[in-house]
Amino acid sequence: MTTVTPDPTPATSTTLTPPRTQTLTLTDLTALLRECAGEEEGVDLDGDVLDVDFADLGYDSLALLQVISRIKRDFGVSVPDDAAATADTPRALLDLVALDR
Amino acid sequence: MTSVTPGPSGPPDRLPLALLLPGQGAQHAAMALGLVRTEPVVADVVDEVLDLFGAEGARIRRDWWAGAPVDDVTRAQPLLFAVDLALGRLLASRGVRPDVLVGHSAGEWAAAVLAGVVALPDAVRLLAERVEVLAGEPPGGMVAVAADALTVEAHLGGHEGVVVGAVNARDQVLVTGPHPQLRRAADALAAAGLTVLAARSTVGFHSPSLAAACARTLPSFARTRFAPPTVEVLSPFVGGPLGAEQACDPGFWAAQPAAPVLFGPVVDQLLARGPHVVVECGPGRSLGTLLRRHPARGRTVVTGLLPARPGGAAADVEALHRALDVLAGTGHLPVPRPHLEATP
Repeated sequence: MTTVTPDPTPATSTTLTPPRTQTLTLTDLTALLRECAGEEEGVDLDGDVLDVDFADLGYDSLALLQVISRIKRDFGVSVPDDAAATADTPRALLDLVALDR
Repeated sequence: MTSVTPGPSGPPDRLPLALLLPGQGAQHAAMALGLVRTEPVVADVVDEVLDLFGAEGARIRRDWWAGAPVDDVTRAQPLLFAVDLALGRLLASRGVRPDVLVGHSAGEWAAAVLAGVVALPDAVRLLAERVEVLAGEPPGGMVAVAADALTVEAHLGGHEGVVVGAVNARDQVLVTGPHPQLRRAADALAAAGLTVLAARSTVGFHSPSLAAACARTLPSFARTRFAPPTVEVLSPFVGGPLGAEQACDPGFWAAQPAAPVLFGPVVDQLLARGPHVVVECGPGRSLGTLLRRHPARGRTVVTGLLPARPGGAAADVEALHRALDVLAGTGHLPVPRPHLEATP
């Protein structure tokens, strides 16, 4: 009834599928930035934020590191270790992700 | 009946001005040197502070100007104090009058001088002694964790001497303590899926493991004259406004390196009073950024006198000019900037 029958061919849908490697767009990044900040937070990501400094958007290096770990996980891409320290704007971060592809 | 005519000074909706003074972790190599070179007030104050440090001050100056790393307690603490104080004095020289000062960690010592609680020579003498004592402690550090204090504390059991040393925001704390326990705790936090980032510190500030070291400095603090603040200090060590009694209590000041920093709760109080103009008065933008994403930010305007990240002398100068523009635009800059003065 409620017992979950083990899948006879486990993990085909996960481990055998290559990680998603679709391009990370500004829309994707903005969605992740918003999600990591949480609903209650006062970040303003409306308008043209591509070249706005992360500090002016309310993201310090810790908050950015959190976003970067989500990018790695959700998009299956690698991001340089120092990206949180070196990427000063959404454009710079998108460029780093593209370069490391 | 005579109607009261509004005075010409300041629009009625001028927001109160809060200065944020950053502490350990905000420092970086060559910080603020662009302003030391271009702003005589900044140069004078850092010279005065480093001269008061004596022979050690000369070594600190040499390392700073050479662009050497300044994360060690013997460099970070004196230089953060000097830079925070110099920027506060720079604003004062332009006629800027803050309504409230908020110092994070070591930043509160600079706030204490700006608020007239302790005289500069005394402040430097006590800081020099504190640094010397802390430099002799076993090495430690601090790590920032993107989670609330309760979540983080649940992972700290078994890591002797490791505690939450600062609450920076609802979702950001600093975990502190001696090595190697701190490294192991950081690994455990990361393994639990939390985002962890080492802060730039060679000492586990705001951990009870430093209490004995702080106690050794108490006699010197007790011989020092303290006065009530002449401008409001919202103290993360108090968790609210610094009262006259605490301001004059040597034990309160001596214990600070071992005491927790409740910056987030103090920011909650500040913003609950309404929107402010907030100026980060020290290296980086770590404190202002926390206010920028605060749920109660409202119409609060956030800026800083130095850039968000190291960018050389030109970036320092540009950041200052932008911040002065913000101050002018919000009615907080009575003394015009030189290049705005009318030429006859």
